[in-house]
Amino acid sequence: MEKKNAAMGTIDYPHTVGPVPEGKEVVLSVRNLAISFATDDGFVKAVRGVAFDLYKGETLCIVGESGSGKSVTSKTIMGILAGNAHIDSGSVTYEGEDLTKIAEDEFHRIRGTKIGMIFQDPLSSLNPIAKIGKQITEVMITNGNKVKKVYDNLINAELIKYKNDLRLLQIAKEEYKFIKKNKSSTPEQIAEAEAHYEAEKARLTPLIAEDKAALAAKKVEAKAKVKEFVGEIKARHKAKLNDLFAKAKEDPEAKKNLLANYISERRRYVSELKVTHKEAKRRALKIMAEVGIPHPEQRFNQYPFEFSGGMRQRIVIAIALTADPDILICDEPTTALDVTIQAQILELINRLKVARNMSVMFITHDLGVVANMADRVVVMYAGKIVEYGTAMDVFYTPAHPYTWALLSSIPDVDSKEKLEAIPGTPPNMLFPPEGDAFALRSKYAMGIDFKEEPKMYQISDTHYASTWLLDERAPEATMPKIVSTRIENSLRKAGMKDGE
Amino acid sequence: MANNVTYRPELVEEGTILSVENLKQYFGSGSFVTKAVDNVSFKIKEGECFGIVGESGCGKTTTGRSIINLYQITGGSIFYKGTRVSAGTREIEEEIKAAKKAKDTEKVAQLREELRARKYDNAHKDQDLTTEIQMIFQDPVDSLDPRMTVADIIQEGLHIQGMYDKASNSAKVADILEKVGLIPEYASRYPHEFSGGQRQRIGIARALIMNPKLLICDEPISALDVSIRAQVLNLLNEVKEEMGLTMIFIAHDLSVVKYFCDRIAVMYFGRLVELASSDELFAHPMHPYTRALLSAIPKPDPISEKNRVRKVYNPSSAHDYSESKPSFREIAPGHFVLCNDPEEEAYKKEMAEIDAKRGEANE
Ligand SMILES: Nc1ncnc2c1ncn2[C@@H]1O[C@H](COP(=O)(O)OP(=O)(O)O)[C@@H](O)[C@H]1O
Ligand SMILES: Nc1ncnc2c1ncn2[C@@H]1O[C@H](COP(=O)(O)OP(=O)(O)O)[C@@H](O)[C@H]1O
Ligand SMILES: [Mg+2]
Ligand SMILES: [Mg+2]
Repeated sequence: MEKKNAAMGTIDYPHTVGPVPEGKEVVLSVRNLAISFATDDGFVKAVRGVAFDLYKGETLCIVGESGSGKSVTSKTIMGILAGNAHIDSGSVTYEGEDLTKIAEDEFHRIRGTKIGMIFQDPLSSLNPIAKIGKQITEVMITNGNKVKKVYDNLINAELIKYKNDLRLLQIAKEEYKFIKKNKSSTPEQIAEAEAHYEAEKARLTPLIAEDKAALAAKKVEAKAKVKEFVGEIKARHKAKLNDLFAKAKEDPEAKKNLLANYISERRRYVSELKVTHKEAKRRALKIMAEVGIPHPEQRFNQYPFEFSGGMRQRIVIAIALTADPDILICDEPTTALDVTIQAQILELINRLKVARNMSVMFITHDLGVVANMADRVVVMYAGKIVEYGTAMDVFYTPAHPYTWALLSSIPDVDSKEKLEAIPGTPPNMLFPPEGDAFALRSKYAMGIDFKEEPKMYQISDTHYASTWLLDERAPEATMPKIVSTRIENSLRKAGMKDGE
Repeated sequence: MANNVTYRPELVEEGTILSVENLKQYFGSGSFVTKAVDNVSFKIKEGECFGIVGESGCGKTTTGRSIINLYQITGGSIFYKGTRVSAGTREIEEEIKAAKKAKDTEKVAQLREELRARKYDNAHKDQDLTTEIQMIFQDPVDSLDPRMTVADIIQEGLHIQGMYDKASNSAKVADILEKVGLIPEYASRYPHEFSGGQRQRIGIARALIMNPKLLICDEPISALDVSIRAQVLNLLNEVKEEMGLTMIFIAHDLSVVKYFCDRIAVMYFGRLVELASSDELFAHPMHPYTRALLSAIPKPDPISEKNRVRKVYNPSSAHDYSESKPSFREIAPGHFVLCNDPEEEAYKKEMAEIDAKRGEANE
């Protein structure tokens, strides 16, 4: 008998994630990420080799129980890991740069501006003693140098290309080093990796030199343009002032208003060079309305404690949006909220994602929320990815027993079957179990699950799972009835399955 | 003058273990009053599981805390096993003031008698009876004192009852720990050493050791991971069967109570807006707020999520109560909705239509 979920092959987990589908653009890629924390009891191995890509314009959900390493992963991307954290391996690539390697004083270019983040507890990211209006405008004003923005935008494309090519070379080198160090690599594999690295080096070195020259040229050009830009602003200002003085000489009425006119022209001039308080306030009010805060003018001068949980989360979203980020990371933003408020916040994030063309990384432990939000899903357990694929893959053809267990433990409003609880608790990450970490709690566990870690099996072009059940030698296993029945019902309701 | 606590045998005869009658719980006074619970009535049958659902701040916890006597209630009465265990006096005092103003001496005398009876009942509560009602709280972290061992936390209630026998208490603690799926060795540990799910088990043990007959569970799983929720729900179900408990289960999410409850009350801003058996409520959700709550639950089903239409409840546009005032009415056997005359008629019609459609679909 042919196996239902037979794998198409395996990939070198955790090093790669399979090919990027046609038409998708990767905005952020995480490779081979391992993070541990030094504690009195030893090293907590919180993340143990995680790799995924975030595509432009998509929502990628990361789901798993508490302690599976979701927050640690997102904090690594944001560069806000706790002091006792150690990055054991891996990289986070964004715009050609490895975010795990950039210095703290450079991170502010990215954190909160290009990558925004909202957390489960909005109070922790709000200052309790500052009016919320000030908290929203603060970010705009500190990042408000318009001249510098013009310059950065002009050179951005060349800068990214240069950094990207540099990075490609670095990846090739690291890959080679990884294979060379790995005890199970054969001499042939090492030779092959070395050849690959040399080829990449030969290909990329001239490219990088070209990029570097192009960037330098672009910088010169951009500086000239910025000079011209500032010059024009200054000239216009000067002309206007001269005009004011000239008019004041002729017209007594104009003379009376000279001071007021002078001040307002001065303000206008400054606002062309940087974000002023007035402009920041205007934009803040607009964003507050955009995220659905009623009466923004009144709310502007209130303190966080005067807002309900749902409204506070909207403010945190407003603050994240002020910088117009490319990527929005949401770490359980609705876990502390009521279902009705949760539904509103999820809708808001979905709407903003489209309106602002953002890519969203959404972390949650609730598969209902995942189904609502996700284009693609990453399922994490004990610091590793156990399954990933499109939302359709993971919900309608789930392959890992942990995904099955998560699905069977959520209440279903359409039926009344008894819930199947997942027995036990996630493992203590001071002593991560060998093999498949979920085996201890899984009724599908086989002998090998306790000894050897399963590879990442490819189920389809988009769908991967790391479970021995997909190995050709494994006996056939079918998902729990409660899950398969629900899937059948869903598909039947959607007209995607007739009574076959 | 009869000096007996008010007792209503008919409640016992009809199998009602708890009767909440016109319960009011107001905080603050004058223009700063919060009507946390405003004229809520329901009866709970012995052995039943009764759900109370509504968004944060609608008064669910306050209802529970009023039932376990943590507040001096503002108005109404609570009868447990036929005996009045709590009676609101402030409401009567205000009515007396009003009657005095109106110079209605007969009414004043009547109300004075009522006030005296209520005060008498409050002063003569039967402690043995009221400890049969226990409550477990939403937040397993906040509700456990971090400096007490698990054993101390669990046997605190026994101490309050004057039971100090060490050997017998430890045996009880060990027993109850096992019942909630923890090992007796945990007794000497501290709460911070436990995960969220385990802490909620400790909270459950603390209530169960008092040997309750009526257990109020105030959002016992809201703070837990989805996967752990099922464990705790299944545990509560087991102890309910085993100990023959009656339960009030408070939640903000209808999908959870559906599993658990025989009947469900939906609460909005201090008032009940709908009450029906669990099956009936899901088959015929009538009040627009109930429908809004139902439409907000995300399902683990991406196709249905893509097509989900969320309903928004806005009381001022949903109802026109300018002429006909709403009251809590039985629109089908056992199914109550807060509505006025035109709404009652509309709901009844709509219910018939839903059934007709379903009948066709089943043919
Ligand atoms: N600063 C820290 N020191 C020690 N351990 C930590 C620290 N931060 C996180 N951990 C541990 O790392 C693991 C993963 O945590 P986290 O990423 O927060 O999980 P979640 O999936 O719930 O977001 C957990 O075992 C947690 O206890
Ligand atoms: N001790 C108190 N003092 C004043 N107001 C209170 C108190 N307890 C609750 N409230 C208010 O009563 C209302 C209902 O609260 P609560 O019963 O906790 O709601 P729920 O449990 O449904 O979230 C809320 O507006 C709350 O702020
Ligand atoms: Mg987390
Ligand atoms: Mg509450």
